[in-house]
Amino acid sequence: MSNEPVGVLIIGAGASGAAFAWSIAETGMSVLCLEQGPWMRSQNYPSNGLDWEERGMGPFAASPNTRRLPADYPVNEEQSEISPLMFNAVGGSTILWAGHFPRLTPNDFRVRTEDGVADDWPIDYATLEPHFSLNDRMMGVSGLAGDPAYPPHEPQLPPLPFGRLGNVLAGGFERLGWHWWPSDSAILSQEYGGRAPCINLGSCVLGCAQGAKASTDITYWPQAQRRGVRVRSGCRVCEITVRPDGMADGVLYHDEEGQLREQKAEIVVVACNGIGTPRLLLNSKSTQHPGGLANSSGLVGKNLMFHPYAMITGVFDQSLAGRRGPIGCAFWSHEFYRSDPARGFVRGYSFEAMRSLGPAQTALWGMLRGRIPWGANHHAAYAQLYDRTASLLAITEDLPEETNTVTLDQVLTDSDGIPAPKVTYRLSENSRKILAHATARAQEVLVAAGAVETIVEPLMRAAGWHLMGTARMGRNPRTSVVNEWGRAHDVRNLFIIDGSIFVTAGAVNPTSTIQALALYIADAIKKNLDHLFD
Amino acid sequence: MNESASLLHDATFMRAILELVIPPSEDGRLPGAGSLGLAGNLAGQIEADPILGPVVQAGLAAVQVAAMARDPGGLAALPPAARLEVVESELSAQPQCTMGILRYLYVAYYAHPRVLEGLGEPARPPFPQGYELEPTDPGLLATLGRRRRP
Repeated sequence: MSNEPVGVLIIGAGASGAAFAWSIAETGMSVLCLEQGPWMRSQNYPSNGLDWEERGMGPFAASPNTRRLPADYPVNEEQSEISPLMFNAVGGSTILWAGHFPRLTPNDFRVRTEDGVADDWPIDYATLEPHFSLNDRMMGVSGLAGDPAYPPHEPQLPPLPFGRLGNVLAGGFERLGWHWWPSDSAILSQEYGGRAPCINLGSCVLGCAQGAKASTDITYWPQAQRRGVRVRSGCRVCEITVRPDGMADGVLYHDEEGQLREQKAEIVVVACNGIGTPRLLLNSKSTQHPGGLANSSGLVGKNLMFHPYAMITGVFDQSLAGRRGPIGCAFWSHEFYRSDPARGFVRGYSFEAMRSLGPAQTALWGMLRGRIPWGANHHAAYAQLYDRTASLLAITEDLPEETNTVTLDQVLTDSDGIPAPKVTYRLSENSRKILAHATARAQEVLVAAGAVETIVEPLMRAAGWHLMGTARMGRNPRTSVVNEWGRAHDVRNLFIIDGSIFVTAGAVNPTSTIQALALYIADAIKKNLDHLFD
Repeated sequence: MNESASLLHDATFMRAILELVIPPSEDGRLPGAGSLGLAGNLAGQIEADPILGPVVQAGLAAVQVAAMARDPGGLAALPPAARLEVVESELSAQPQCTMGILRYLYVAYYAHPRVLEGLGEPARPPFPQGYELEPTDPGLLATLGRRRRP
């Protein structure tokens, strides 16, 4: 069954698809977005109930392999040291993200030049800066201008309050003389754009019932729809189809009833994240593109980058009131962000201050670490941890390696019979060294903050939020999948706008940069409309 | 329903074992898990778990068998010290069973209004009232002000 052709077809309604849709709608072209997940309802978010922590382990779990919702596809992660995480809905993973909103730094765009490893991006920070700013205005960002780790930029709203926990942790950094700065957060500290400010639910990563956290279903999408963009939810694209000349001409997808349908389009835009995008391209084999769509370089699905995380938790002998407030949005530190040859590794990491766990998660966390027994000593052990922990996340820079891949699983499929992605990922020696360094420094600063004990998780397995590099951008078609404005080298009416196109990963959360890239690519298309397919 | 699954629905047995796993706190602020009426929901959740469910059911059956070797009335019929001895002995030999029980029990227990009150937390969902958060230390912000990039 076929639908009316459209000008622009976007696959995926998450962070990048939403930003792109809103921007490209300015052209007056007909724009349609297909999203495999549903529209979310804030009244269904877990924080509406006492069982919010239980639901966070089920239908709102970050892993699709745990949730197993109809919108999800399974991921074979048996050969990966890190589990990929994502959410499938209008809003994508911004439904469940923490709203921590750093940008890549200027240095991150020229890794080859700075450190002789990986590659430089074909664009720089200055090129993206206006798009960062525009995106900040669309999402609503709280923060404090003047961070010496970044070029000047001005968040719209004052920073979120630290709470006792943030004050205590920041004191540790201050005592050691290390860099720290209130985070840019896509969470409102004041009313903004008709959205209410944060009320410190502490459940950001389970969806924000207050609407203070920016997820694109409540930021970009309403505005994009007012510009005429249509969103068709519950539609899972299985293949991008091509004309005899190899250009894309639309997609095949399964609608909400599972019926296979066809949608023709002049321009196809892929925004399915660093795993979903290569999966779709590899599933789109044809006579013209036998190795998968846009894959003449052989790099589709290669160079998968996560941000390997370590979590270092301090146990304090005072209440930190730590489970209230935005969970990851107090402050960051770039003290060890750039390369220092004395450390024995290239590149670096950032720290993100994290709040305490909720009542149930504290018990489970303590149990898994042998800290909270059952029986007579349960309550005493629990009392030593509940509301008395504060954590630092070390977010390390992963370098691209062709052996870290997304391929198609030969057996596993989703509910529509589409081959599932298989992730093969091994942590590099460089990343291991970074994690070890970060762990030791985190322990040092936690003690400086007053921790009486530290507990280390040296590599978090369930932390694969950031999916990057699997369809990298570059000027050379032999060493990249898309050009410097997101157009596939092989298919001139196919664009990729998600984290797949990252050349390197930096050591900060990528969403701000992903969205700035999406806006930048939309602008490039608008500027090049007259000769877009030349 | 097989015999081990039926133990999950044996209110007396479950109350006895839950009260051992999380007894009341010494100061009386926190109730024992057996007194909160959690067993029914737990039974459903554990039965629905394809991995932990069978392990927990087998473990509970072993507890009851060991208890019945001492008293035909089973676990609930034993005096407190003997109950603890049996449960400790059986669960220490079956860490997966223990983990399965705790996985569901902790989540249910620490969501119960009486437990939240005992912890000093409001006995309500986070939304819509939310929570107060202490402001950022003005001294810290003043320090940053001196380091600001112009």
